[in-house]
Amino acid sequence: MSHPAVVRTFASEVKAIPGGEHLELCYSCGTCVSKCMIQQKVEPDYNPRRLLRMVMMDMRDEAFESPTTWMCSECDLCYQACPQEIHISQVIAAVKQLAVDAGYTSPLTPVQVDEALCSGCGVCTMVCPYQAPSLFEKEVDGELDRFSQVDPNKCMRCGTCVGACPLGAIAREGVSNAEIQSQIPSVDKSIPEIITFVCDWSLREDADLQILESYPKHQVNVVHIPCTGRIDPQHALMALDSGVKGVLVCGCKPGECHFKRGNHVANCKLGLLDTMFKQIQSPHKEIRFVQIGTQERGRIRHEIDGIITAVTAVKEAK
Amino acid sequence: MAAKAKPKLAFYWAGSCGGCEITITELGMRLVDVSELADIVFWPAAMDFKYDDVRALADQEIDLCFFNGAIRNVENEEFAHLLRQKSKIMVAFGSCSHLGGIPGLANMYDIEALCERVFDTSPSLDDSRGTRPQTITIVPEGEIKLPALHQSVKHLAEITDVDYFMPGCPPVVEQVWKVFQAALNGELPPKGAVIGADLKSVCDVCPRDKGEPGFRISEFKRPHEVDLNPNTCFLTQGVICCGPVTRAGCGIPCLTGNMPCRGCYGPAEGIIDQGAKLASVIGGLINTDDPDKLQTILDSIVDPAGTFYRFGLAHSIMSKMKYE
Repeated sequence: MSHPAVVRTFASEVKAIPGGEHLELCYSCGTCVSKCMIQQKVEPDYNPRRLLRMVMMDMRDEAFESPTTWMCSECDLCYQACPQEIHISQVIAAVKQLAVDAGYTSPLTPVQVDEALCSGCGVCTMVCPYQAPSLFEKEVDGELDRFSQVDPNKCMRCGTCVGACPLGAIAREGVSNAEIQSQIPSVDKSIPEIITFVCDWSLREDADLQILESYPKHQVNVVHIPCTGRIDPQHALMALDSGVKGVLVCGCKPGECHFKRGNHVANCKLGLLDTMFKQIQSPHKEIRFVQIGTQERGRIRHEIDGIITAVTAVKEAK
Repeated sequence: MAAKAKPKLAFYWAGSCGGCEITITELGMRLVDVSELADIVFWPAAMDFKYDDVRALADQEIDLCFFNGAIRNVENEEFAHLLRQKSKIMVAFGSCSHLGGIPGLANMYDIEALCERVFDTSPSLDDSRGTRPQTITIVPEGEIKLPALHQSVKHLAEITDVDYFMPGCPPVVEQVWKVFQAALNGELPPKGAVIGADLKSVCDVCPRDKGEPGFRISEFKRPHEVDLNPNTCFLTQGVICCGPVTRAGCGIPCLTGNMPCRGCYGPAEGIIDQGAKLASVIGGLINTDDPDKLQTILDSIVDPAGTFYRFGLAHSIMSKMKYE
């Protein structure tokens, strides 16, 4: 009995990578697309359903060039909704791995490491949800020194490393330490009542962003960040020190973080800050962390009004 | 030919333990070299000078003053102002003077709570007689005076102009020697600089193996609860190490002794608030795979404020907000 020669199709290569094996369960219903925040907010051509079809149709180059291959941040909102329970992000990761092996590179601009500041502590390599940074050694002035480097094909630009880097050696454009600090009011600028650090993914609707903008600047100062994993408690303290009455950090509900773990990281950082405030018995200052779910449209107004009422009550009580 | 006047040196201790004085005596025979090059005009810990000797000096007559200790009471403050007035160059010497140091941890409590602990409830007391320190006590021989305590512990730069900051609890002797030489040769950097230390963090010079990418902490331990591996990063062993946020320059004696960095050299260059930045590092390292366990993991950190701000509490933004 003779077997036909095995044709090594693109689909079989994807299926051979752990996580890629569920590929053919997909019947192209498109539920994944309806759940995808990237498709809705950033890139209309982003389409997991279509990518999976491309793989099954042996459209190798098209798949490797598709933004879907590179932009998936593994938030898994689609996995939670998929009627076939396909772990779509893992299938996409398998396609991405093949694309990298074939010499394709990510179109996203990764975070940048400044070696003049980097001490090689390795904190970024540990906190990154995608294991994009790694340490390497090179000779500087005749001695081996250790630095961080970022794999541009793994970096999803969430900024969690930027928030954790002790020495400000990692920057992502828009949210480097200098750029965040320039948005924190200082005494020579007018001091708003509230400063809010808003994760760009936690407000799903344009209407929610319009609510944010509806407050006058002297009342609510909005700092946009890519993920609450970028939060640095130093910035919250600097804002309060400048005279701001309350800090509102707005992120995604547990299980809905666009970058896997940034909201939990923020929770830990702000939890530690809160414990230290209590230990030091520093006068109560409002630092709130709200986690807004995909279905909670309009909640941001309620949260902002709530913190404004709280700080106003404190002010009047004095 | 008249000998050229030697530069004048002064050392003073305010609210401190005396360790900074010991680091100067550790110069050993090199102290003889120092006394060849400079006149020591005030050093209460080691030589017989009186406060009035300082008061009798002309303004800026002292060329270089090393001021250690925090500002805890009115006497500390009086001498900070006096020595500033009498000195050309004022160096905040050691953690207490630089950041408030260990005495700064008292800023977690108010004065009455501190006195209650020390004079009433301390386990080493047989009984409490409700004693409290008095600024003036009349005894048969006359009046005994004690300086009044301030409401909070301050670091030197909070109350007077400081030219340089020299960190460490205490500053290590080799750095002290380097700073002496630089000062006597007129080679100090621009005013306001941290001297006798590096720019980057302790991790830059720590030889231990770092954590694997993606490593996360699931439980925090204190050093005495773990059989510590001398070759790997403390954080990967669940032990809090202040190395990532602390300025290098100490020569890592703690790490060499298999103990984590306690942060005495203060914030590395670019860090504004040492404890808040460490919270930003540690928060990112916590294992977030099971969100229901986050609080349990956080609760395993014993005394976060005392650990993250062990030497820098009086210098922290939170302490500043509490007392302003």
